[in-house]
Amino acid sequence: MKFAHISDVHIGSWRDSKMRDISTNVFVKTVDMCIEMQVDFILISGDLFNTSLPTIDKLKIVVEKLQEVKKKGIAVYVIAGSHDFSPSGKTMLDVLESAELFVNVVKGFVKEEKLYLSFTIDKKTGAKITGMLGKKGMLDRYYYQALSLDELEKEDGFKIFMFHTAITEFKPNEFELMDSMPLSYFPKGFNYYAGGHVHYIFQSNQKEYGLFAYTGALFPNNFRELEKYKCGGFYIYEDNAITYKPVMLYDVVSLEFDCEDKTVEEIHSIVLQDLNKNDFKNKIVTLRFCGNLLHGKASDIDFRIIFQQLYEKGAYFIMKNITKLTSKDFISVITDIGNNRNIEENIIEENIGNLSNPFFDGEEKRTTLSLLQSLSAEKLEGERSVDFDERIKKDALTVLPQRLKERI
Amino acid sequence: MDCTRIKGKIIGGSFNKVIIRQKQEENIQLGELLVSCKEKILLQVYDLIYASQLSQQNLELISGMQLEKNAEIDFFEQELRNYTLAFAKNLVQLQDNKIALCKELPIFFSDVREITKDDFLMMKNPEKALRIGKLRSGNKVIDLDIVLDGEKTFSEHILIASSTGKGKSNLTSCLLYDCIDKEYCGILILDPHDEYYGRNKLGLKNHSLKEKVHYYTPYNPPAGAYSLRIHITTLKPSHFNGVILWSDAQKEAIYSYYKKYKEKWIEALLLSKNEENENNDYHDMTLAVVRRKLMQILDLRIKDNLVFSNSIFDMDNGKTTVAEVCNQLEKSSKVIIDTSLFSSKVEILLGSLFTTEIFSRYKRYKIDGILDTKPVISIVIEEAPRVLGKEIVQLGNIFSTIAREGRKFKVGLLAITQIPSQIPREILANMNTKIILGIEMASERQAIIESSAQDLTDDNRTIASLDKGEAIISSTFLKFATPVKIPFFDDIIKQKRLDFYSNTTTSSNSDNDIIIKRQFGGVKNSMDNYDNKTKSI
Repeated sequence: MKFAHISDVHIGSWRDSKMRDISTNVFVKTVDMCIEMQVDFILISGDLFNTSLPTIDKLKIVVEKLQEVKKKGIAVYVIAGSHDFSPSGKTMLDVLESAELFVNVVKGFVKEEKLYLSFTIDKKTGAKITGMLGKKGMLDRYYYQALSLDELEKEDGFKIFMFHTAITEFKPNEFELMDSMPLSYFPKGFNYYAGGHVHYIFQSNQKEYGLFAYTGALFPNNFRELEKYKCGGFYIYEDNAITYKPVMLYDVVSLEFDCEDKTVEEIHSIVLQDLNKNDFKNKIVTLRFCGNLLHGKASDIDFRIIFQQLYEKGAYFIMKNITKLTSKDFISVITDIGNNRNIEENIIEENIGNLSNPFFDGEEKRTTLSLLQSLSAEKLEGERSVDFDERIKKDALTVLPQRLKERI
Repeated sequence: MDCTRIKGKIIGGSFNKVIIRQKQEENIQLGELLVSCKEKILLQVYDLIYASQLSQQNLELISGMQLEKNAEIDFFEQELRNYTLAFAKNLVQLQDNKIALCKELPIFFSDVREITKDDFLMMKNPEKALRIGKLRSGNKVIDLDIVLDGEKTFSEHILIASSTGKGKSNLTSCLLYDCIDKEYCGILILDPHDEYYGRNKLGLKNHSLKEKVHYYTPYNPPAGAYSLRIHITTLKPSHFNGVILWSDAQKEAIYSYYKKYKEKWIEALLLSKNEENENNDYHDMTLAVVRRKLMQILDLRIKDNLVFSNSIFDMDNGKTTVAEVCNQLEKSSKVIIDTSLFSSKVEILLGSLFTTEIFSRYKRYKIDGILDTKPVISIVIEEAPRVLGKEIVQLGNIFSTIAREGRKFKVGLLAITQIPSQIPREILANMNTKIILGIEMASERQAIIESSAQDLTDDNRTIASLDKGEAIISSTFLKFATPVKIPFFDDIIKQKRLDFYSNTTTSSNSDNDIIIKRQFGGVKNSMDNYDNKTKSI
């Protein structure tokens, strides 16, 4: 048996069209590789698309590719991920499944509040595949809580469990704050656990369970991932072993500049010197600036000239990151874009006092954060709009200071 | 309050030894709370004696005649001649709007009555309530919850002391259960008997807010629990303080490796990376002993110059376990670490690891000025002398540090012990709330009495006579050492279930109650497996 395990393709991600095209083209190349390697079937562990309703141009490419693998007799099994799942059921995955381009393996039934999953059997190999979809905000947790494990564990044969969530026991340090699920929610005794959602490459054989694998994103999904991984990839399973296959369309060159105690002019000079040392032809270039500037502010650095020179040297795409760049003259609101909570906290801190609202009783930061949190709650499945509305109002009111509540 | 249920009359004594003549048909018990009718001074009985108008000689003679001669002799107006005297101490004065410390004697010859719930109407429960149990007067339970300010109580440490079988675990379970829905506290429970989660019995998992209970266990975690794995790189030399007794040379060597190899110090040390020792700063024997000690406690082995683990100290997984536990505590969760399968040393190492990290975080929060926004953290340690014993404390460890400094950083201990005398007096005195269950050994009672927030000198006998589930709370947050009855844990859960079901049926239409029926959107309806049919693609 030989199969491919792909996840987190995120077709349609990236704001810039050049980068957006890469994520689609990487998918095309990956499918080509799978065909070439003559896999029996392909697993996609969630987030094939970046949204539940992708754009027509991207969809067309994906459909054509899926038709091609179908003609080659290679089945594709998917689960919905946190990006392409839709609580209303309006997701392109359903359309593609109706067109018999792939099979969504999250099937089963609910009886007495327990969720019983069914297996989908791959005709060619006899592999039994099932899985659990991923949902935003860890709303899939209650699916796992309700999951009946006994029936899944009793099933014999070669079994694959597809999932789209982080597992607490496996999380690397960089994902410390990511919501996760304990391993104990998973059924034991599967041959392969095809993971998605967490963008890191990982495999581990777990006693009583089996082989767990995360492929990471098929193409890096943000600046940090580009810097760290340079490219994405997928796993090929064959003869009880897996091999990671990187998929590279463009090389990535990452440059980091230490700006500590340097003037803007000095930084210009250092950057331009570095540009002369490297080959950038047809490469994605990431530029990270960090440290505390001696004079001036980040916006004084003429990135236009730097970008211009890089494009003249044939760079495919250039990105910069100044989140760790501060200035002694001017401490701007620079936050780690990876953490919404930090952004909110910093912005609130910057603006504390501007409100001069006597009802906050000196608790502006805490109250504002709590209010933001309560207002960002999502509608639960099965919750009526009127109930949701009431819940939001009730939760928001509880965080307000008493004096303000009385005023309202 | 009218004085209808008179139990006796004050007939003499002194401030701490008020003598009460018991009314004939009444029964005054040891530890009973009485109220003087006029000034509403609360008294607590600490001793009882027989008294008689007849001389001892006459009593001996009468008893002899009854026993030896079968004489039918009875006392004339017995209720006037023979009675019980109770010795009580002044506790507090129950005023209309507050409870004040008592500085006067009740009026001579005034009546005393039994206490009622209404005597405490002026008491207001603190906002961050920690419910301990019901007020107890002798054997009688008054329907009045004894509630402490939970945030202060936890941060200023709690000691639970009792002999075996007097209800320590039950009390701890009740306390923890009561705290599960409290946002003001996060509690780390180091559970050496794997008893609090309730893997195979009623436990904290049975709370309606069970998502606030996180259970880490090394063995076969039930669904929703975490398998306890600690990545080797999360261990720091300081975590071994009080766990392994290092010599000075050994200590210098491990800190030197830690400085050079950071989180990979253990691996570097075990794999004999000798760059650190290129100047022969450390004797080879020193490093060999360090290696042996580390390998023993962490259950590691080396093969082909690679380190392998046979234990929860993992080479691959568990990188965020410590951070995860700290994050959960900061979100006011109750985290149970099942240490029942570990040696005492490993258990202490785990406790040290989690405790050190959460304490460091809270120290940083204080510096950053955000400590007030965080919940208080309490760390439950069973058999506390293992980490707070006199000899251990001298060597220094994180637990003794928290006992001394923790309250400044909102981190406290909930120490449970049978032998409080093993804990240094200085640390006992720092534990501002003591919940005393029955203690049979006089030396242990003495250790508690000497370090209590209130003067318990007269309560020695009362403490010895405490039955299962009966306790005395001595706390700086209470005006007097308060007798309580601890409920039976299983009864609490059964009662909560009854309450839950009765509430949901009666208030399901209420505006405040949003009942959400779980739906499993995204799961395609299929019963293929269960109809003995399988679907092939």
